[in-house]
Amino acid sequence: MTRHTILPTILTMGMLLGQAPNPPAQPPADPAPAGQKPAAEQKAPDAAPAASPVPSTENILAGYIDLGYRWRTAVDGSLNTYRSIVNLGSGPKLLGAEFTILDPKHRAFDQIQVRANSFGDDPYQTLHVDVKKTKLYNFSADYRDLAYFNYLPSFADPLLSRGIVLNEQSFDTRRRFASFQLDLLPGNWFQPYFAYDRDAGSGTGASVFVTDANEFPVPSRMHDRTNLFRGGIRFEMRRFHATLEEGGTTFNSDQTLIQAPGSTAGGNVSTPVFGQPIDITSLLAAYGVSGSSTYSKGLFSGNVTPWLDVYGQFLFSQPDTHVAYSQADTGNLLLQSQLLFFTGQQFLVSASAKLPHTSASAGAEIRPFHRLRIVESWMTDRLHNAGSLLSNQTLTGAGGFSQQTTALLASSLVTNYNQEQIDAFYDVSPKLMVRGGYRYVWGNAADAVLPPAGLASADQAKLRHNAGLGGVTFRPTQKLSLIGEVEGSSSGGAYFRTSLYNYQKVRAQARYQLLNSLNLAADFTFLHNQNPAAGVNYDYRAQQESLSLFWAPGGGRVWDVTGSYTRSSLRSDIGYLPPQTLSPQTSLYTDNAHTATVLFNVKLPRSTGFAPKLTAGGSFFISSGSRPTSYYTPLATLWVPVVKHVNWFTEWRYYGYGEAFYLYEGFHTHLFTTGLRFTR
Amino acid sequence: MRNIRKELVSSPTLLACVVLGLAALPVAGQQPSPPYAGSETCQVCHEDIAKAFAKSTHHLVDTSAKRGFKGQACESCHGPGQKHAESTSAADIQNPGKLAAAAADKVCMTCHLNGSTQAGRLMSSHARDQVACTTCHKVHANGPDGLAVRKPAAVNELCQGCHRNVWAQFQRPNHHKLPEGAMSCVDCHNPHGSIRPAMTQTFAANEPGCLKCHGDKRGPFIFEHGPMRFEGCATCHETHGSANPRMLARQEVRFLCLECHSNLPTVSNKTGAIGVVPPAFHNLNLPRFRNCTVCHQKIHGSHVDRNLLK
Repeated sequence: MTRHTILPTILTMGMLLGQAPNPPAQPPADPAPAGQKPAAEQKAPDAAPAASPVPSTENILAGYIDLGYRWRTAVDGSLNTYRSIVNLGSGPKLLGAEFTILDPKHRAFDQIQVRANSFGDDPYQTLHVDVKKTKLYNFSADYRDLAYFNYLPSFADPLLSRGIVLNEQSFDTRRRFASFQLDLLPGNWFQPYFAYDRDAGSGTGASVFVTDANEFPVPSRMHDRTNLFRGGIRFEMRRFHATLEEGGTTFNSDQTLIQAPGSTAGGNVSTPVFGQPIDITSLLAAYGVSGSSTYSKGLFSGNVTPWLDVYGQFLFSQPDTHVAYSQADTGNLLLQSQLLFFTGQQFLVSASAKLPHTSASAGAEIRPFHRLRIVESWMTDRLHNAGSLLSNQTLTGAGGFSQQTTALLASSLVTNYNQEQIDAFYDVSPKLMVRGGYRYVWGNAADAVLPPAGLASADQAKLRHNAGLGGVTFRPTQKLSLIGEVEGSSSGGAYFRTSLYNYQKVRAQARYQLLNSLNLAADFTFLHNQNPAAGVNYDYRAQQESLSLFWAPGGGRVWDVTGSYTRSSLRSDIGYLPPQTLSPQTSLYTDNAHTATVLFNVKLPRSTGFAPKLTAGGSFFISSGSRPTSYYTPLATLWVPVVKHVNWFTEWRYYGYGEAFYLYEGFHTHLFTTGLRFTR
Repeated sequence: MRNIRKELVSSPTLLACVVLGLAALPVAGQQPSPPYAGSETCQVCHEDIAKAFAKSTHHLVDTSAKRGFKGQACESCHGPGQKHAESTSAADIQNPGKLAAAAADKVCMTCHLNGSTQAGRLMSSHARDQVACTTCHKVHANGPDGLAVRKPAAVNELCQGCHRNVWAQFQRPNHHKLPEGAMSCVDCHNPHGSIRPAMTQTFAANEPGCLKCHGDKRGPFIFEHGPMRFEGCATCHETHGSANPRMLARQEVRFLCLECHSNLPTVSNKTGAIGVVPPAFHNLNLPRFRNCTVCHQKIHGSHVDRNLLK
C-alpha cells in the first residue's frame, strides 16, 4: 500500500464527507466535567484540537478529514541536521483523518474505524484500521511509513582537512511496517488469533570500507525485510486463563558497497605508507544475509483460591542466520601484518549463527490476611549464540603474485539472567498502602571467539545484585495522591564498568486538585550509581524534577492552559584509558537541562454564530554541560468554522536548533500550514 | 542448571497450594448471593451511563451468560445493588473508582486475570505502585477510544499525565517520533507488565521489542557486540530522547566506547567487567579515531568481521 493509492481514496472520502447532509450533532467525546479532568487527560501540545469521533446509531459515517498545504521556508543553517531531526517538507498533505463506519444491519461488520495521518510525502505516514463484529471477529491493520534519514554532520570528519564535509556513517532510507491481526470469537471460552507483521527498510547511504591500512567512505545501498507470522489460541475459563502461541520469522538483508571501476578513492589516510599511497580503484562488497526463526509462547494465570493467584509464562525462540558475503576490490593496498602490497583482493565468507533463547517466569500473589498481599516472582532469561565462519581471502599483485588464506572461526556468546523478588503490600488503611521487598539478581555472561588472535578473544563477567525495595501510596482524599518509592542495591558483580552497581533510586509523585478547574502535579526521580572498583571509580548521578498544571476555568468554556516544566541534571564521572598512552584519564559528562511545554487554548468571540479557536504554545528545551543545546518548537493554530461541517485552520510552527560547541549543526526554519477540516 | 534446580525445590509447595485451591473451588452453578437489582433497575436513575454502556464492549457482560452476570452487568463490578436501589444512598453500593487500587483491580481481574497482555502483571511497576486499571481504562465509555485510548497522540497524552519527566525527554532534538504522533508509548512499553526490563514490549516471544522496528539489528550475528544482548539498547542510547546525535548517551562516540573499553586484558578479571582497551594505534588525536564507528561500522554486531569492521 502506498500513498499513491491511499491518498486518492481518502481524498474521495473527504469530498463525500464535505457533501454529507446535515446530520444530528456529534455527541461530545468526553462527557466528564473539565474541572474533574485528571492530569493524565491534559492536552498535549500536538494533540488535535477536535475530539475523537464517537459513533452514533444515527450516522453510518462519522468522522473528519483534514486536507491542507504546507510551506516550509528555506532552512537557515544545516539542512542535513534539519532533515535528520525534523524532515517536514512543503506540499499538499492529508494531515489527518479519522472516521467510523457503522453497518446498522450488522452484516459483515458492526463497525469500521479508520485513522490516517500525515500522508503526502511526510516523514511519518500512518494508517490504522479496526473492524469488529460482535461475537465473530476483531480485525486490526496498521501501516506506517517512516523516513529514516541521518546525515548529521560529524564532529570527527577525517576528510575535513581536504574540504570534504561528510559523515561517513549516513543513510537515507524509509522503513515500512505493516501489522495485521485477526481475533476470532467463535465461543465463550476460547479465542483463536492469527497475525502477520512485516518490517522492511530500503535506501541509500554512506558507509566505510575498511582495509588493513586505510578506510574508504563509499556509497552504500541497503535493503532488509522481516516477516513475522504467528497464531495462537486463548483459553478463558472462569478461574484460569491460558494463551498458547506459535510463530516464526523470515529475514533477509542485502547491503552493497560500491566504488565504480575507473575512479580512485584516497580514503581517510592521505599520508603514504612506506612511501606508497593506499587507495582503491574499484570495490564491490555484497552481503547476503538470510534468516529464520520459530518461537513458542505459553502464558498461564489462575485464581486458584480466593487468597491465591498464580501465573507463569514460558517463551522460547531460536533465530538463525546464514551469511554469504563476497568482496572484490582493486587498488594499491597493504597487508600490514606481512608488510605486503597487493593490487587485488577477493574475500568470500560463508557463515551461520544460531541463537536459542529461553525465558520463563512464575509468580504468585498470596493474600493471607485482608490487608496483606505477598507477591513472589521468579524469572530467568537464557541466551546462547553460537556462530561459525569460513573465509577465503585471495590477494593478487604485480608479476602474477597470488596468496590465498583460509580461516575458520567459531564464536559464542552466552548470557544467563535470573531474578527472584518478593514484595509485601500492606494496606494500613483504604487510603494508605506501604510496601517493602527484596530482589536478588544473578547471572553470568561470556563472549568468546576461537581461535584467539588480535583483540581479546574471551571475556566473561558475573552479575550479582541484592536490592531492597520500599514504597508508599497515600491518597488521603480524592483530590490528593502521593506515591513514593525507593530502591537500594549493593552488588558483587556487573557486566560493564557503567552498569548499575551500588545504586540508590528514589521516585516520588504528587497529584493535587487545588480547585475544580486547576490540577497540579509534581514528579521527582533520582538515581545514584557507583562502581568503586580500582581503575573504574564510576560515579553517576541523575535527577529530574517536573511540575505541571492544567487550568480550565469554567470548564474550559473560554480558555484553558496546560503547562509543564522539567529540570534535569546528569553527571557521570568515570576513569578510562586512552589507547595511545594508557595513562588514566577521566571521562566527565554533564547535562543540565530545562524543558518547558505549554499550550494555551482560547475560544475567540463569535462572529457569525461560530466561535473561532486559537491555540498557542510549544516546547522549549535548553541545556548546558558537555553538549549545550537549544531546541525550540513554538506553534500557533487558528481554527475558524466556515460552515456547519467545514472548518478552516492555519498553523505556524518554528523549529530552532542551536549548538554551542558544534555550531555547524544548528538550523532554524518556519512552517506554515493551512487547510480545511470536513466533519460529519 | 543448579539455579533452576534450586527454584524447583519450591514446586511441591506450589503444587500443594494448587491442589488446596482447587478443592476450595465453589460448587458449579452456585448462584451469586442476593439481592441483585438487575441492570434495568440501575438504568432508571443512571440513564446516561447506561446509554453509553450499551454501546461499549463491556455490555457483553449483560447479554452473555459466560461471566455469570447476565442482566446484571452493573452489579458485576459494583456488587449487589438492591439495597442501593431502595435507599439511593451512595454508601449502599460499591464504587470501584473509589476503592483502593488493589481492591479495584481485583474487580477487573475477575474477568481479565489473563489476556496476552496480563502475563507478568504482578512484576510490573504499575502493579507495585498501585496504579489501578481505571487510571487508564474507562469502564462505561463507548466509541473508538472508549475502554482505552488507541490513537498514538491520545496514548502519549495519557501516559505523560504521570510520566511528565519522561515526556520532557521527548522534547529533546533527537527523539523517537512520539510528539509527532507517529509512535506511542505502548509501541515500546507494555503497561500491563513484561518479562523484559522497564516493561518493554517483546518481539517474537522474548526478543527485545526494539527489534520489531529495527529488524536489521536483530541478528543473530556471527560476532555479537555483548552489550546488545546483555543489557540492551539503553546501554548506549537514551531511548526516549537526547541532545546527542543518534540518541547516544554521550556527546561523542569515543567516550561512549572507551568508558567500557578501558580494561587492560591482564586485569579485566579484577575489575570484573567486560571490555578491553583498544590497541595503541587508535590515536585519539586523529579525527579518524575520535569517532569509533567510522571503522567499527557494524557496532551492533557483524556477520563477517570479528572486530565489527564490516
